[in-house]
Amino acid sequence: MWGNIFLTLGLISSVFAGIMYFLSIKGYENTLKPARFGFYVAAVSVFAASVLLMSAILNHQYELKYVFNYSNDDLPLGLLMSTFYAGQEGSFMLWLLFTVIIGLVLIKYTSSRDDLEPRVMFTFTLATFFLLVMVSPLLKSPFVYIWKNATYIDIKKINPDFFSQGFLQNFFFQDTSSGKSFIKMSPQLYAILKSAGIPLNKFIIHGRGLNPLLQNFWMQIHPPMLFIGFALTTVPFAFAMAALIKNEYKDWIRQSLPWTLAAMMVLGLAIMLGGYWSYGVLGWGGYWGWDPVENSSLIPWLVGVALIHTMLIQKKSLTLYGGIGKYARTNLILAMLTYLLVLYSTFLTRSGILGDSSVHSFVDPGAIVYFFLIVFILTFFVWGAVSLVLRWKYLEKESGEEDAFWSRELALFTGAVALLASAIIIFVGTSAPIFGQSVETRFYDEMNLPIAIIIGLLNGLSLLLKWKFNKGKDVLKSLIPPLTVSVILTLLVVLIGGVTDVMLALLSFSSIFTFVVNGQIAIRIITKKALSLGPYVTHIGMAIFFIGVLSTGGYSKEVSVDLVKGQTEQVLGYNFTFLGYSTFDSGKKYKFHVRVEKDNTVIESAPVMYISEFNGELMREPDIIAGFVKDLYITPLNYNSNGGAANKGKQVHLNKGETKTVNRVSLTFEDFYRSEESIKNMSEGKPFSIGVKIKAVKDGKTAELIPEFQMGGGQKSFTTAEAPELNLKVTLTNMNAAGSVDIIVSDLNSNINGIQPKEVFAIKASIKPFVSLIWIGVLIITLGFLIAVIKRTKESRS
Amino acid sequence: MKNKYIFGGIIIVIFLGVMAYLFTQTNISYENDFAKVMQTHRTVRATGEWVKERSYKIDPRNKVFTFYLKDAEGNVMKVVYKGAMPNNFESSSSVVVTGKFKNGYFEATNILTKCPSKYQQEFKEEQKSTS
Repeated sequence: MWGNIFLTLGLISSVFAGIMYFLSIKGYENTLKPARFGFYVAAVSVFAASVLLMSAILNHQYELKYVFNYSNDDLPLGLLMSTFYAGQEGSFMLWLLFTVIIGLVLIKYTSSRDDLEPRVMFTFTLATFFLLVMVSPLLKSPFVYIWKNATYIDIKKINPDFFSQGFLQNFFFQDTSSGKSFIKMSPQLYAILKSAGIPLNKFIIHGRGLNPLLQNFWMQIHPPMLFIGFALTTVPFAFAMAALIKNEYKDWIRQSLPWTLAAMMVLGLAIMLGGYWSYGVLGWGGYWGWDPVENSSLIPWLVGVALIHTMLIQKKSLTLYGGIGKYARTNLILAMLTYLLVLYSTFLTRSGILGDSSVHSFVDPGAIVYFFLIVFILTFFVWGAVSLVLRWKYLEKESGEEDAFWSRELALFTGAVALLASAIIIFVGTSAPIFGQSVETRFYDEMNLPIAIIIGLLNGLSLLLKWKFNKGKDVLKSLIPPLTVSVILTLLVVLIGGVTDVMLALLSFSSIFTFVVNGQIAIRIITKKALSLGPYVTHIGMAIFFIGVLSTGGYSKEVSVDLVKGQTEQVLGYNFTFLGYSTFDSGKKYKFHVRVEKDNTVIESAPVMYISEFNGELMREPDIIAGFVKDLYITPLNYNSNGGAANKGKQVHLNKGETKTVNRVSLTFEDFYRSEESIKNMSEGKPFSIGVKIKAVKDGKTAELIPEFQMGGGQKSFTTAEAPELNLKVTLTNMNAAGSVDIIVSDLNSNINGIQPKEVFAIKASIKPFVSLIWIGVLIITLGFLIAVIKRTKESRS
Repeated sequence: MKNKYIFGGIIIVIFLGVMAYLFTQTNISYENDFAKVMQTHRTVRATGEWVKERSYKIDPRNKVFTFYLKDAEGNVMKVVYKGAMPNNFESSSSVVVTGKFKNGYFEATNILTKCPSKYQQEFKEEQKSTS
């Protein structure tokens, strides 16, 4: 109730603030203070609504549909708090919350810089308004009561004390196919409960709970981080619009650069936190799968990073030539695109339009939100495009000369274009499902690999070049030392690491070149201008990141093995022994203990499997033995407590002379075998037999088995042969005299009762070389960004 | 401003060209009519509903997971997937498989399970209870 009031109040005051900011731009006096006040009221309303939602979650107020749908009372505090953004309404709330917080900082930032505030804040307030509409009671508020629309609630969620109440009987429903019982929570039932004086929160005592995949530490950090990044991309967009409104392009670069950097720092980190979550929890063994959700947030990041580089050119050219500098249009367009692509990303991943095919997961209730999201995107797109067209003539008069061939300008611009090419490629691949198409992930791998190589080379080169103009001779001179070092290092990496793939070798060269050039500059300036280290640190991080990507991407090894309890298996150079399982989390989850030994080092690994109460599914959690050089990644596949006894043998079809390997036994059908007596009997029409000679080799031991086909009195029969030394039994099931047989291969004890059953734990194990470099690279990149943000914030004041 | 158009242009043209080519090479089309899926030899992505009555089979030794899918027309197709059963398989509302049809079954290289959204779940429950 109060939540909706606050959200409505926020919506109204954002409209007021927007109008006042607009009037202020138009030169009306005494409008700026009311505008600011309007934004403050909107911000306070959003805070209040967020606090209310959080308190409803913490106090388990299941009368709210959102709280019921995503949380439960058994969640620990951290996870419980993360249910705030587990659903669509709450995640928009979180985005909105960060947007208004950033808005408050932005008011402070812009109000101390000439007439900047109304121009920037008008756009920013408009963006805030759109988000407020999204969570408003008109569209999809998180404060909807559960009984507003009749909802069927599993009776497990209802307080059993009330089951005997007479009035409840009309609201019981049974689902015959699943055997579950439901209570129809409708306005009628609510009215009855109300008149009986039963509070809804005493009636519904459990929630549906949180998807177990999201019940993870990293999931508590990743989404907030992502939404801070999303909210921050609004700022460069607002600055670009502010510049267009005034038709003045000198200051916006300097003023918005720290914001752009901060947005890309947070967004980039958030994307990789998502990757870390995927690596640690999902168990498929990777950190990046070119999934639409991942891609759609990477696209604005790539565009934003390109923007940073072209902004630097404009900033430099402003000091060199005055006027509006170079690349003014490019920067305006990219700043707009970065934000528009964030909105597009939200649209793609939440609208169900990707849906994988014609089956849509979301039905009607969400549709209006997504229609509105399109309105949101189109409004900003059209407004931005029209403003740009109107100012185009003026913007064509860029100052400065043509970029020289050997100039930092051209190298930076070309690098930015390469980043944009990557963004376009990912955009096309990710958007393809809208048109009923889709691409394999190798599309992204193969397209982005050469781009990464080009970017690395251009990065190193650009830093060796001076602005404006360089003599070819000088370029060559400055190139030789880092190039020589890079070639030597690359050769070492290629030879020691056994890199045979040309593209991967080129990527290592390009990354090493980036590393060397940036390292060389970083060392030179570290004592003199530590605050200028930002870009070099970031690029070094990028180089390390790429080395990690290519070593894990190109040189991971993976095997699936069955571990029998107590027996040691050699897997990827380690000795694995399955020791048994134990339960935890009050018996709900199972840890499977595996002893991993190598060179006298013993580590115990314990991947987890359990049946989730949330969806009744088997969940698997990998265990990672992480190291600097490599990670050993163990994913549980399944567990069979009756492995040996359940083995009923394996059917094999063999042609004469053929060898097949079954359960680590190699079997060769050598020949038919007929004794002389048998041949004689056969010709006389008496009962006879034909043997099938099978050579079996297991663990280096060989045995010959001769199961027989017997014919007598018009009856066919087959026999079984055993090789005790190999624990092997072969049963003939069919024979074709033309030269083929069907046999069943099994263990000796397979059909014997009373034999100890074997416990078998199946796993997928993989080695990921230098995956650690990816995480180290990300941390270094973030650090570099941080230094740059600090430096550019200082500069923005001048 | 010639150089920047030359360099920017070259990169964009080359990569767009390569992209267009690779797109056709790696393109997976959607085909939800199993009758057509069973005729084509191309890699397709098909969506269907798991035929619960025919259950599924897991061969833990060879890590093969076999089940049957049904399309909207009621065509049933056998699907064989080399790998473990996906986490949300049993509660999925529909299953998206990517692969090729050959030797009388659909060899899936990838399985995606789509879970019913909460809304759909309620909607279904409602239909069941009132009918």
